[in-house]
Amino acid sequence: MDSTQLTTLTGVIDKKMNRQLKQYMDICARCAICKDACHQYVGTGDFKYLPARRAELIRQIYKKYFTKTGEFVPALYEARDPDENLLDELYDSTYACTGCRRCMYYCPFSIDTAWILSVAKAILIAAGKGNEMLGQLADAAIFKGDNAEMFNDVMVSGFEDIQEEVRAITGNPNSRVPVNKEGADILYVALAGAHSIRPAAVIFEEAGENWTISMFEAANYGFFYGDVEKARLITKRYIDEAKRLGVKEIVVPECGHAYRVAEFFYEAWSKEPMPFKISHILEKVDQYIKAGRITVDKGLIEGKVTYHDPCQLGRNGGKFEEPRDIVKAVTDNFVDLTPNRAEQWCCGGGGGIVAMEEFKDVRLASGIKKVEQLKASGASVLACPCENCRLQIEELNEIHELGLQVWQVIDLVVAAMPLKGTKPTHA
Amino acid sequence: MSDETKIDLELDLKGLLCPLPMVKVSQNIGNVPVGGVIRAVATDPGAMADIPAWAKSTGNEVLQAAKEGSEFVFLVKRVK
Amino acid sequence: METYLWITSVWGIYLTAIVFFGGMAWRIYQWATTPKSPVRLGMFPKPKSGAGRFGKLLADTFIAPQSAKIEPTMWIFAMAFHVAALGAFVGHLRLIHEFPFLPEWLGEAGMNTFAAWSGSIAGILMLVGVLFWIVRRTFGPYKSLSVPEDYLLLFLLLGVVAMGDHMRFVYGGVVHAATYREWFLSLMTFKPEIPAELLASNVGVSLGTHMLFTDLLLMYFPFSKLVHAIGAFSSNLVRSE
Repeated sequence: MDSTQLTTLTGVIDKKMNRQLKQYMDICARCAICKDACHQYVGTGDFKYLPARRAELIRQIYKKYFTKTGEFVPALYEARDPDENLLDELYDSTYACTGCRRCMYYCPFSIDTAWILSVAKAILIAAGKGNEMLGQLADAAIFKGDNAEMFNDVMVSGFEDIQEEVRAITGNPNSRVPVNKEGADILYVALAGAHSIRPAAVIFEEAGENWTISMFEAANYGFFYGDVEKARLITKRYIDEAKRLGVKEIVVPECGHAYRVAEFFYEAWSKEPMPFKISHILEKVDQYIKAGRITVDKGLIEGKVTYHDPCQLGRNGGKFEEPRDIVKAVTDNFVDLTPNRAEQWCCGGGGGIVAMEEFKDVRLASGIKKVEQLKASGASVLACPCENCRLQIEELNEIHELGLQVWQVIDLVVAAMPLKGTKPTHA
Repeated sequence: MSDETKIDLELDLKGLLCPLPMVKVSQNIGNVPVGGVIRAVATDPGAMADIPAWAKSTGNEVLQAAKEGSEFVFLVKRVK
Repeated sequence: METYLWITSVWGIYLTAIVFFGGMAWRIYQWATTPKSPVRLGMFPKPKSGAGRFGKLLADTFIAPQSAKIEPTMWIFAMAFHVAALGAFVGHLRLIHEFPFLPEWLGEAGMNTFAAWSGSIAGILMLVGVLFWIVRRTFGPYKSLSVPEDYLLLFLLLGVVAMGDHMRFVYGGVVHAATYREWFLSLMTFKPEIPAELLASNVGVSLGTHMLFTDLLLMYFPFSKLVHAIGAFSSNLVRSE
């Protein structure tokens, strides 16, 4: 490979170098305990998806260019250049990874493969091999932020339509979807789809919350793409909006990575302390139910209900109990999946993989563990607070004929609320 | 306008939640020739911002983004 | 024989000590001076208190309960090896100083019996662990994942353990700790000598080869994946951040 590109690619590692990365590079014993932790390796048996192998590709470059032993005796470590062969395998194993960090959970040294792959993504982008679809989605989101005026009318009119639907559900002609409300306590940053706004609006309004809706979506394809600057700009859109409106708290929707990005990543990207409290919508709903601010009736949801912990919300976000408490508040017929919480199997739909057609086969094959879990639970209703998980599980549901109803948790809550209006039929 | 435009590909994106309508348009833009037009029908209102934003940032052109009843109809022209 | 011992078990040890301690210091310096990850990489469940995090760090590093859950076989062999290695290390401290109390309680013969039993058990467990790891790396994904470094380290470990066991099982009843201590203390006081008793007993080949492998293993240690012995504490701590 030519020396300019080599300098560029090793320069990426140099720029991204930190103590954790260095230790992960230095200490992995290649014991392969991570093998059975990974849903993609288990689902496909394909060696390139073995977590330690994904990391090993970066290690091979690291050994050659960042260690003396690897420089002098590269054969000892199979150290090599980031050539086309390496980059091609790296592309597959990196963009396929859902970032669930189940391998880290089981690793005796807690090696964070996803963190190593964040460097891999930066290398791929520098080599002009970043995933095109994720890049486009990120750019579109940044474009919306830079040209907010252009989309203002469309957005406002969309919110007005949703407001009508909310009023039909609550039966209250005064229910609102407040837009650009200065002095609101909460800025709710939803997803682009109406489905993530409608039930949340019903709940906020019924709880008497002082809230306003964001003009932007919480999803962050810059994060999945692996470009820190793009990711920062996408999140910055609603951080700036929250500052402008003077809210106290930012609430993110039923989405896994949106919470992790806001709570754990944005401070590092922006190099400034997060000026707002970040909450997941289910934390708020759990509080509303426990404080009696909204009422839910048990018995309105039929069938045995189970719950899937999205990796970014559970293992990586720490929200294990709030969603369960909500589900248990709307039904007495709850059963947990096995394993669950920190040991929950990734459904296979995270990391932006649902948007990348080229990974469809591995994605569906990797869902086999989730399918087994769902079958074993005997549940007919699945509550799942992550859009990517739901897209994946709905597809698995169809292919494997599980006969499951897959619900957002807030949809379950609205279905269980005694409201004067007409309940929406579950999509 | 839509009456005069020759449609090269029809996409039914009804029921898809954002950003999937944008993803589908992006995945299919390569299936029409340069200058060709995709007609896409979505039901998620988020597409009204997503698809034009995608077109602008990728250098393609949205000839029409209109609400027709409960549906959103887009005409997207492949520019390059 | 005397030359072999002078190379492997005197000058080799001095060289090894310099490379090992220098290398480890350099490795730790490198880690310590590289800035921390800007992103908190912790995962849940995450203890809230400092004491809780410390406890979890110790449990994760010394017991690895999660690894035990997902691959019990590997865990049992790895655990057996590491515990035995720790036991062997403690036993080797007799090279510097006889254990306090134990010889008084057990008597000289009792102490030799105790050392023979504990040393034998540790030696066998280590051998079994190393053999398990070698076999495991000969097939399937384990083989695909392995690089020459892995086999080199296992080869060196096998040499260390096999020759240590040879000394234990063949010469255990002939040469006792006091003789080795004489040799080792002479190294530590920089007045190296090889006791006549060692040379007379034919244990020299085993000792020399045991030390040759030990020298090579420890000299390579700071530049190999074996630095997990120290790095694991730091990386496991990050899990709770």
